[in-house]
Amino acid sequence: MVINVKNLVKRYGDLIALDHFNLEVQEGEILGLLGPNGSGKTTAINCILSLLKYDKGTIEIYDQPMSPEAYDIKRNIGVVMQNVAVFNELTVYENIDYFCGLYIADKQTRKKLVAEAIDFVGLNDFTKFYPKKLSGGLLRRLNIACGIAHKPKLIILDEPTVAVDPQSRNNILEGIMALNRQGATIIYTSHYMEEVEQIASRIAIMDKGKIIAMGTNEELKMMIKSGEHINLELLNPEHLDLTEIQALPHIISAEVTDHQLVVKSSRGKNNLIAILDHLKDQNITIGKIYSEPPTLNDVFLEITGKELRD
Amino acid sequence: MFLFNYRYRLKCIFRDRQLMFWTFLFPVLLATLFNLAFSNLSSSDNFLKVNVAVVQNQALDQNPAFTEAIDGADDLFVVQYTTKSAAEALLNDNQIDGYIIFDSKLNLVVSQSGLNQTIIREFLDDFVQSSATIVTIITTNPTALDGGILAGVSSRNEYLTAVSASQSNPDPVVNYFYALIAMTCLYGGFLGVKEVVAIQADLSAVGARINLAPTNKLTVFLSSMLAATTVQLLELLILLAFLIGVLGINFGDQLGYIALTCLAGSLTGVTFGACIGSIIKQGEGLKIGILIGSTMTMSFLAGMMSADIKYLVMTRVPILGYLNPASLITDSFYALYYYNTHTQFFTNILLLCGFTLLFSTVTYLVLRRQKYASL
Repeated sequence: MVINVKNLVKRYGDLIALDHFNLEVQEGEILGLLGPNGSGKTTAINCILSLLKYDKGTIEIYDQPMSPEAYDIKRNIGVVMQNVAVFNELTVYENIDYFCGLYIADKQTRKKLVAEAIDFVGLNDFTKFYPKKLSGGLLRRLNIACGIAHKPKLIILDEPTVAVDPQSRNNILEGIMALNRQGATIIYTSHYMEEVEQIASRIAIMDKGKIIAMGTNEELKMMIKSGEHINLELLNPEHLDLTEIQALPHIISAEVTDHQLVVKSSRGKNNLIAILDHLKDQNITIGKIYSEPPTLNDVFLEITGKELRD
Repeated sequence: MFLFNYRYRLKCIFRDRQLMFWTFLFPVLLATLFNLAFSNLSSSDNFLKVNVAVVQNQALDQNPAFTEAIDGADDLFVVQYTTKSAAEALLNDNQIDGYIIFDSKLNLVVSQSGLNQTIIREFLDDFVQSSATIVTIITTNPTALDGGILAGVSSRNEYLTAVSASQSNPDPVVNYFYALIAMTCLYGGFLGVKEVVAIQADLSAVGARINLAPTNKLTVFLSSMLAATTVQLLELLILLAFLIGVLGINFGDQLGYIALTCLAGSLTGVTFGACIGSIIKQGEGLKIGILIGSTMTMSFLAGMMSADIKYLVMTRVPILGYLNPASLITDSFYALYYYNTHTQFFTNILLLCGFTLLFSTVTYLVLRRQKYASL
């Protein structure tokens, strides 16, 4: 096991940031740690990395207790911080070389690793640039390169795509998957469920300092009652009476917002024919109809009663 | 790791333009301004001769001794012989400080009182006194004239001799430059703050990244501080070279001791900044603000803005002088320049080392922790 966290408790005064937090990470997986802002993701990561003191619990990495002096463990970890952590006075190359040098003493080995990291994040044309001259996306790429240049076995990425444009975000996500294919175990924290769905082989959903659900994308969606969503675009919804639709068997909810009727039903039982019949009886014209599988937001909503994006 | 980090910290410091301005260019600019401002200070102390007019009349012609006396005092007076009306006009136009007119006795006419007028009066009093003495001798004991007594009456002997405590001539202007160097030493605090912020996980993102690495934090910290001290010392030596070589400030001939003062001052300054950087948890702006405020206060008390303040501190609250690193640095230079012994100099250097030790200990106690309560 790569990481084993048991009953971790972290308090900030009266506020409980981590409430008996448990986590197991297996070798070779991409674990997505998903949760709204303030749910405790970064605090959990900082405790795991021995940056933060915690009140209770145990943390083991590669079956060894984690501590600030556990240099053998630290040597195998790469961290991409939420905030860009580079020196403005050093060039792209120098920054990567410096942070890689904190792990790799041999100059020749480091030279090779730095070149590979630069190539990996696609900063070959910017090696002599200072960070202030880089765009937000390029800066994030530099931040990643600084965290992974020493070829760690465990990579922890804390919201690495915040404030990044869609194209750079895709590049970053593809890069993370490539690192995983090369053998790295990855923990990826984010409050963007689409990202986590896209790359994570297993997802842990956090709220109020604890993991409230964990499993693969499919497993999590199977945990909730809600199945697919039927979306109907209505041309004349003014006189629509939803009572009969809501009363249909297996229907969980039916709501109209801006000409859009969204019907959530139990898994595999969408009652589409009956819904269409009711709309026809009320002379409602349908412009478009499509269905969507449930999202992680639905999972979060059903478990906590609030939106993941709140 | 030590040298690796040292090399990169040197790069970071040298490329920080803002930092280099405050720790290097600013003192050089200030020194240049001081030099411009003080260049005429010494010359303003030069004695300006007193302008005096002597009215030409019959009485003056009958007293050639007076004419001889006042003409002989050419290091004191610029004398014009003129008529009474012309002398009056010159006095009204403030072109002379007064005029002398003989009638039955010597008269001095002035339009105001002041130093120059007093000088003229003292000269006249002296002349009258000497004349009276000579007349008395002639009338009561004319034989004494054969013994050359007249020469004794008119001559002046100095019975006190000024002996310098050192080989250097006292120069009040150098004090300002001492205080400037002291300020520059303490501005090394900027470097100290920068280095502490760079390795503390709760102060910067790069600090967090460094704390995650498998490296000894104390090693990184020590090499960073050494880099800061190297830069600071280099800046000070260039400043010193500029002061001596370009501005011509005289620091005496004990360059080894001057370099030692710079080293002790640099260490005190850099560790002072590191101490402030580690104990103040708020933003970097506040740290810098406190650093500038305390440095300027210490420099002010050490006499950078006014030499009188330093004198006041030393006479009224002498303990403050020993608790003020800027004052200790200034006094070290002062001791080197003015005293021929090194007792005072080494006392100051030891006190500076004490401050360095104190600041380092506080910084270490804060930095030694490996985990943080919050980030």
